[in-house]
This record gives sequence, structure tokens and C-alpha cells, in this order.
Amino acid sequence: MTWKSVYWEDVEEGQELPTVTMDITCTTVISGAIASRDFTPVHHDRDFVQNLGLKDIFLNNATICGYVGKYLTDWTGPEGELKEISFRIATPCFPGDTMTKTGKVIKKYTEGDQHLVDVEYDFAVPQGRNCGGTGTIALPTRGH
Amino acid sequence: MGVEFYEELKELVGQEGSQLVAVDEVCKPMIRHWCEAMQDGNPLYTDEEYARESKYGSIIAPPTMLLTWTMPPLWPPGEKPPHPFELFLAKLDEAGYYGILITNVAQKYHRPLFPGDHLTFTYKVTDVSPEKKTGLGNGYFVTTTFIFTNQKGETVGTQSLTVLKYRIGS
Repeated sequence: MTWKSVYWEDVEEGQELPTVTMDITCTTVISGAIASRDFTPVHHDRDFVQNLGLKDIFLNNATICGYVGKYLTDWTGPEGELKEISFRIATPCFPGDTMTKTGKVIKKYTEGDQHLVDVEYDFAVPQGRNCGGTGTIALPTRGH
Repeated sequence: MGVEFYEELKELVGQEGSQLVAVDEVCKPMIRHWCEAMQDGNPLYTDEEYARESKYGSIIAPPTMLLTWTMPPLWPPGEKPPHPFELFLAKLDEAGYYGILITNVAQKYHRPLFPGDHLTFTYKVTDVSPEKKTGLGNGYFVTTTFIFTNQKGETVGTQSLTVLKYRIGS
């Protein structure tokens, strides 16, 4: 299998990242929680979470981190190197939700020998924004 | 709660807990489980041949797994003295702020993590807001910062987490 790369030279500020949708199920919520070793009941126990007055179990923060990483490097290809991510969680993402991921390049710059872009992203669910934030990625350059 | 309570909370800000050691080394099975759950096909994480030819020369862990390596075991229960952050949460629980919700996450990655790396970490409460009115109830935003170090003593990354501790239905 060959892997494509997004090169720094080819990126423009304002450029939109692909829109990607993902169907969230009990299995994706629970497998994400367990793969990130988060055994908090609100991420696997429906009775527990409904007793707290919430609709259902919901995605844990580490799974959102994982989805952010996947969204960004699925776009750049494996040569894109995540430097940092930062986001705010606004509304929970529940099983049955379709998550719609969008993003945009907001800044393109160099720092030392690194060729960087800052991106912003927004993961929406039917009831509103699940999370929104920014990330910094080092991209490969043509001829390197 | 009053100004006095907020002052008591602020006194706990910046108190460093003891250094903690990750239960497991960075390893390929946990990386693969993560990729399976996150549906992440990045070949640096699971394709030996691709990773060997890459600039890393080996499989690396997804950087976003940072906190996962240092999550406490479900069993057996820990016997360590409580961390200042736990004391912080207990103090808010006692005052009736039982609700807890993560609101902000930030991670910085300084170095890649390779299978066999063994992390240690420290964390401390770095900020607490004054009491705020939120859609869920009145509460305090508490920010904790983690610093992760590998077996060579190099900082591999940092993470900050902000939680809202709120009085349910207030």
C-alpha cells in the first residue's frame, strides 16, 4: 500500500480539510474507553449514567484525542507529525450520533527547520458541537 | 461558597505529588488495540515494514495515547498516599460539588514514544477558577497539568486537563 503525503508547500491558509463522518455506537464508545484504559462508569454503564440524568454513555476525552489525531494524520498522511492539540468539549457524543468532522488550515509558518501548519477542527453531533479546537502539525517538504 | 473556601482551594494549587510510574511499558499490543478502537490506519503505528523504513526506524505509539500509558490500574487498588489533586476533588465533594465533567484537553508532544519505553510522570493542579455559574450548576474549573518522562529522563510530552466540578442542579 502506498501512502500519500500532504506537503507543506501545497497547503494554503484558509484551506479546508476533508469533511469526514463517523457513526458512533455503544461499541465505539466502549472500545475507545477501554483501549485508553478509562474505566469510568459513564463511558460503559448505561444504568449508571442514566441515574445521573444523562441520556446515555458518552465518548471519553481520550477517544476524542484519538479521533483528533486520526482526523489530522488521515489528512496529512503518516509523514505529518503531530506537535500539539488543544480542544474544548462542549456537548457529549452518544451512541447513535453521527459525528461530522470538519477542519481548516489557519496558519502556515516555519520554526527553525520545521515546516508547520496550525489547523482548527470542529466535531459536530446532532445536538451541537462535541468538541472544537486547534492542532499544530509538522509537514514534509518537497525535496526532503 | 465563600471567598474563604476559594482561598483554601487556591492553597492546593501548585502542590506537586510524588513521581508515579506507568503500569505498563509502551508496547505493540496496546498500540494496536488503540488503533482498532480509534479506527486509525496510520502505518507508523502498526505496519512493521513501513515503520522500519520511516525516519523513526520502528513502530511508534500514536502521540495522542500519552495519558493512556499512565492510567492507574482498575485492580488492585493503589496504596499510595492521596495525590494533591485527589485531595482537591475530595474537598469539592465534601462541599457538595459532586458533578465532574472534563471541559478542556491539551497535549504537547516533544518526542515519539517507542515500544519498550517506560514512562514516569508527575502532575499538579495548576489553576482553579472562582466559582462560576454554568448550564449544569455552579462550579469550579480545575486545571491539572501532567509532565511525562521516559526512562532516559527526557520529557516526552505534557497534558493539561480542565474539569468542571459542579453542584448538580444548583
